[in-house]
Amino acid sequence: MQFNAALTGDAAALARQHGEMLARLPATVHAFILVELEKWPMLFGPEQRYQRALLEHLSRVPTGELDQAVSGIGRIEAESGVNRLGERNPARFQDEAQALLRKRGLIVGWRGEVDGFFQKVDPVLEATLYAADAPRRLVVQLYGSGIAVQRDRLWKRFKGVGLRLPLNLEGTNATEPFLQALFGAGEPGRGGPALFAAAIESAPLDAWLIESHEALHALWKTSETSETSGRNDRGTSSASLTGLSYDRLRPYRDDLTRALNRKIQSGVESPQAFAAYARSLQIVPPAGTLLYAPDILLAFVRDVLITGNGTLLVNNTFVEWAAIQALRRAQPRVLVTRFGVRDKLKPFSSMVLFSQPRATDQIPVAQDPVGSFIDVEQLSYYVWLNAEKNPAYRKKTLYLFLAEGVDEMLAIRSDAPIAAQSGLTPARLSDVHATMAQWLGVSIPNGSGRPIGEILQ
Amino acid sequence: MADWWLPRCVFAQRTSTPRKRERRVIVVTFGGGVRYEDTLARDGWVNIPHLASDLVPQGLVYPVARHEGLTGHFNSTGALVTGSRQNVDAYGSEAPVTPTIFELFRKEHALPPEEAWVIATNKSFGLMGGSKLRSFGDPYSANVVLPKQLLISTIKAAVSTNAGPGVEDRRALAERMMLALDEGYEGFGWRVYESGRALGAELKATLAKSLIDYFNDPATPTSGDELTFFMTKEIMNRLAPSLLVVNFWDIDIAHYGAYSLYLEAIRRTDRLVHELWQHVQSLPQYRDRTTLIVVPEMGRDSDVAGNGFANHRSGDESCRRVWLVAVGAGVPKGAGTERPIRTVDVAPTVAQILGFKMAECEGKPLAELAF
Repeated sequence: MQFNAALTGDAAALARQHGEMLARLPATVHAFILVELEKWPMLFGPEQRYQRALLEHLSRVPTGELDQAVSGIGRIEAESGVNRLGERNPARFQDEAQALLRKRGLIVGWRGEVDGFFQKVDPVLEATLYAADAPRRLVVQLYGSGIAVQRDRLWKRFKGVGLRLPLNLEGTNATEPFLQALFGAGEPGRGGPALFAAAIESAPLDAWLIESHEALHALWKTSETSETSGRNDRGTSSASLTGLSYDRLRPYRDDLTRALNRKIQSGVESPQAFAAYARSLQIVPPAGTLLYAPDILLAFVRDVLITGNGTLLVNNTFVEWAAIQALRRAQPRVLVTRFGVRDKLKPFSSMVLFSQPRATDQIPVAQDPVGSFIDVEQLSYYVWLNAEKNPAYRKKTLYLFLAEGVDEMLAIRSDAPIAAQSGLTPARLSDVHATMAQWLGVSIPNGSGRPIGEILQ
Repeated sequence: MADWWLPRCVFAQRTSTPRKRERRVIVVTFGGGVRYEDTLARDGWVNIPHLASDLVPQGLVYPVARHEGLTGHFNSTGALVTGSRQNVDAYGSEAPVTPTIFELFRKEHALPPEEAWVIATNKSFGLMGGSKLRSFGDPYSANVVLPKQLLISTIKAAVSTNAGPGVEDRRALAERMMLALDEGYEGFGWRVYESGRALGAELKATLAKSLIDYFNDPATPTSGDELTFFMTKEIMNRLAPSLLVVNFWDIDIAHYGAYSLYLEAIRRTDRLVHELWQHVQSLPQYRDRTTLIVVPEMGRDSDVAGNGFANHRSGDESCRRVWLVAVGAGVPKGAGTERPIRTVDVAPTVAQILGFKMAECEGKPLAELAF
């Protein structure tokens, strides 16, 4: 089938180069690839590399083998009539094809065939894309102060996994000293704690902070990049990493919510049309909202807020969904999440999607520290699960779980099990800092901590 | 596997001639999508104390039930009320394509509309009461009440006159309630379809008044399911229909990604089911002649193989594994069977209990119940 895809630059060149192979693919697979290529400027580096590798791999597969590999998909397309659709725009074709497959009761079978096809292709691509000697990665998940941590249930989902290590907090129970001891204070001239700057060199998308409130971002506020000096008019500061704060995004969330609400009030012809409208919104966050704000990140934030159920409404859901999307799409070398306390739900569920309940709500906002603990136990587990499903992180990642004010941590290495041990000497947060630095192969000047042997050995 | 649910085995019972209108059936969807592991599995009991401690010992439990169709709310509930998998618009703009138990029941026995009701929290269920088949449809459909929608229209009407509820700022009340009621956990495309069977004007006015009275009571409802429960009681009290399908849906708040709110909704549903059963016992028209069937219309994604509790789109086993509890007339007490059943078995079971034919559907009657 011939499609009219709006491609430019590298994406257009790739489509031309592999045009013959693309034309042999079943229409739904062909359209899927073109839709991804149309998004090329808004794809993160790993996504672009995947698409390139996919096309190159499929072009190398002998014709007969490729035809055989996609024959199941083609059969269902023929049975459903998808291959007779006249739509030439790949995105609209996708929508029509999905609708037709559903109508004919073939969507489950089609999805199974597509999954089966990619289950064979992806391992081949992974071997190409993710070298065994690729740099190590670090994922740190923090429970912010205020969450009603139940020590006997803490990290319960990870029962039997990783090493629980006692901590000596040395009086750094409160959020700010805790985070400064853990990550180090901002280093003059480097825009934040040296650990991050050294780990990612000059690639801001290689380290992400995602949080419900602003405490992590404050590590940069107190550094040389001041509140005002490094900002430009696109909601960014000159810090050298990526930061998303649910609280900081509030004006942006409000604008987005208003726009979506107006659209709903004026009438929506279909879910697809509404989704397309949402994707087309060009709302820019106020200055200072983001630490780093290229177009690709603005699109990322918008997508997180409109495609993740609850991300507009629940801070920790935003943190989890944004983290999972960042792991999947941008694959940063360092990811830090910080969950916080969410607000209680108002009576009669007056948190309302795409509207602004607080403007008319007469019930004061109340926090839910107990419910928040139950939530973040599940959400931090999902972040870990999703990271481990990703070949970029599997066997290369150190996961650290800490709760502010709690003298215990959990460490999981995905490359080797860490045996449970008893009678361990409590580690200081500066030791955890040194451990992260050594894991990442980063040299930290003036560091007072000692790497924790039980984790790194 | 489910020994703890199976205090004694139960076997199929001989079918006897049904006595029409003597028996009543209430089907409750423990709805919105709930995982087995969060409910009937041992670790989930803490979330369903009333079912576990009160209802199951009085009734029959099927711990192994399965929903085999599309894992959206309308189609999965459609499968419950038709006995066949449905594949229509997920947002409720199309009616089921095979006849519903309401139509078959009313048509065969020439029953008035008041005999069959759907009371639903999910506001896309306006067309759940009847199929799109020419020989069935509206003349035989169930009355469908979407209490939240009814409340919206009631408030709209109330604030437009001086005879409305006793509040100072009617407009503020209206705006607040519109917002509160217009929830849609799944986001995009969540539209309100008001094309269900139209209630008679007098009946609608009566129910609307009861809603307003309810809201003027200090014990105002805290969720859509509370409102649905209230409306169910009103309809039972006033009309004593033979067949009710009650759709609870608060559990779908799981889409917000807050596990604690999901668990809270499960506990609320558990309590409401128990209170509904108590209400059945309090009404002579229902006591000793009512069979209550409680069943989730579908599960939710598993943590490992799926997308987690927040969604029900992976189609994995956790998304399909459910359970069924029956209690009341014709139900063996304190019994259970590990025989796997399907959610499409509910409709033909209801047909057997109420004594109407359900020739063409995918499901089979649950033979362990006495008909």
